[in-house]
Amino acid sequence: MNVKGFLQLVFSQGTILRRNTGFWVTSIMTAALSMAVFGWLFNPDTQPFDLALVDEDHSQASRTLVEAFNGIDNVDVREGSRSGEMTSLRDGDLGAVVIVPEGFADDLGSGSATLPVFYDNSNPIRIGYVTTTVNAVVDSYNTQMTGQSSAVTVQQQAVSTQHVRFIDFLTPGMVGMTVMWVNLGVGFLLVTWREQGILRRLGVTPLRPGSLIASQAASFSIVSLTQVTVVLLMGHFVFGVAIHGNFLWLAVTVFLGVMAMLSIGYVVASLLKTVTSVNAVINLVAFPMMFLGGSYFPLDPPPALKPVIEAIPLTHLNDALREIVNHGGGLGDLWLSWLILAAWVIGGFGLSMRLFRWQ
Amino acid sequence: MPFAAETPQPAAQVAPRTPPVGDPGSPASPGADVVLAVDTLSKRYGSLAAVDGISFQVSRGETFGILGPNGAGKTTTLEMIEGLRKPDSGRITLLGLDAVRRRRAVQNRIGVQLQSQALWPELTVEETLKTFRALFRRKLPVETMLERFSLTDKRRSLVRDLSGGQKQRLSVATAMVNDPEVVFLDEPTTGLDPQARRSFWDLIHEMSGEGKTVIVTTHYMEEAEALCERVAIMDRGRIMAMDSPRELVRGLEFDNTVECTFAGSVERERLLALPAVHDVKKENGAHFLFTDDVSATLAGLMGLTDDNNERVQSLQVRTATLEDVFISLTGRRLRD
Repeated sequence: MNVKGFLQLVFSQGTILRRNTGFWVTSIMTAALSMAVFGWLFNPDTQPFDLALVDEDHSQASRTLVEAFNGIDNVDVREGSRSGEMTSLRDGDLGAVVIVPEGFADDLGSGSATLPVFYDNSNPIRIGYVTTTVNAVVDSYNTQMTGQSSAVTVQQQAVSTQHVRFIDFLTPGMVGMTVMWVNLGVGFLLVTWREQGILRRLGVTPLRPGSLIASQAASFSIVSLTQVTVVLLMGHFVFGVAIHGNFLWLAVTVFLGVMAMLSIGYVVASLLKTVTSVNAVINLVAFPMMFLGGSYFPLDPPPALKPVIEAIPLTHLNDALREIVNHGGGLGDLWLSWLILAAWVIGGFGLSMRLFRWQ
Repeated sequence: MPFAAETPQPAAQVAPRTPPVGDPGSPASPGADVVLAVDTLSKRYGSLAAVDGISFQVSRGETFGILGPNGAGKTTTLEMIEGLRKPDSGRITLLGLDAVRRRRAVQNRIGVQLQSQALWPELTVEETLKTFRALFRRKLPVETMLERFSLTDKRRSLVRDLSGGQKQRLSVATAMVNDPEVVFLDEPTTGLDPQARRSFWDLIHEMSGEGKTVIVTTHYMEEAEALCERVAIMDRGRIMAMDSPRELVRGLEFDNTVECTFAGSVERERLLALPAVHDVKKENGAHFLFTDDVSATLAGLMGLTDDNNERVQSLQVRTATLEDVFISLTGRRLRD
């Protein structure tokens, strides 16, 4: 088969997939719905935040101010050094760092002291919460301690952080889930073709199973990359999810994920005969994989379950996607996930090439 | 009326094909251009011998029919020739190549229509043709195919929206995109109404007129008579007889079949003793009397009464057909 013929085959199969709307719309809708639910309605990020206080003045005045922060609802307060807490803030572990600078007591004595507050600017909802909380504490300190409302001025400074909100965590997980559902669906497609006699029909042409599978892989990759783009654009523009990584690495990861899921779909279709049984088995594979693979929630599995989770291709697809999207990961962070996905691809395709039947 | 219902009016516009010069009855002679040679081909499914050591040859340009009831092994035979199934034993030489070992080389030059139409419901007519074209080295332009199979105004319609006849035409068109030298059609008219079947016959005549070799399986004897220069009659994995339809019928010891029923029962011996009767077969309560003198047999039959003293209840006289060849060979009808 020449290149033109191959491209025609890719195009035709892409058209078939596109016109089978249920095939790709369902998973995009699931992703969108999940992102809406966790991004807007039930947002785990509006929960308590950590506040760090750094007392560099060690004076009576600074102590009183630090004490004033204790006992605020919904805020966990701790004390530490400037460098340590700023690092924590940049790593995304803190909501804000309040620094009582050296000479605070003296400045206060002369009438006006400033209080630098560094806050995580990644989460707009939390920014508001942090600033109002800090301002409230400082205001009451001013009136109680000095009687002057402007004795201490809050000096806010935004800090770019690596804070990963739940929606940031969820979005790459939804990308992985979408890739899984659509590409496992190849099993359903193949067994439908077999039932309709289409595989038999192709079997009396010079088409090689390898060419069919390769063209299918290409058309499914195109469909998946389109879906991934839709999900990521939705995450970025609707939920403000930052995409830190390299788009090439992203494409490579999606491609490996597509191939790994396709290979499982092929094996299922090769082993089973009817559309209903393939459907049942695909669901039986996909649902546990979706949760164990960590598409929705970070997992803290019992030791017995760990090897299972480590073996699941979706785990590694999600890991790699999060590494890229959330942390801007490079080859050094990705190679292990890629390797395991590649192992699935080789094993799955090797097996299904052996099992493949035209009828 | 067992036969009349299933038999469309005797082919008026589509007369049985007159075989070309030479002795049409004998299998392709060694000197002729043999396109397909099947030699002691066998295939078993467990204990069932689906195809049991059959041999035949087809010459270039010939329209060859394999006639037999369901389960006779027709489809399995075709599937082995087309490369869908591996034979257990025997040789298939198609277009001068070993059809098993040089499968893909052969498949590039043949056209196949399977029993199921096997089209993607999601593609349009034009997209379907383009997709099938992509699979072959040699290919005809899409426009040509659309025109030839009267699908030009349906080119942008989805396959799922086509009528049965249009789907059938598209299905044949997909088998012809590579301008094949040999065309295999597996029960192509099963499920078609008489009108559609008739226009399909025209299509096959056209193919044959272009010099293509056509190999068709059917369980309609009138189809085999109308289309085929030679017919192999197949039953239970074996070829029972092979010749031109005319010679097969002529080879019978009788010219006519008298089909009759009685209210009660009549002993077979009494029917066999009637004048000019060669043989008697009974199926589904009807008696088939094979005779070479209709009037003598009928005269005798009129005098006959059954155990209840009742006479002949129904009566039908026919000229012998391929169906009778099949009945006389197997004692069964082509279709139940």
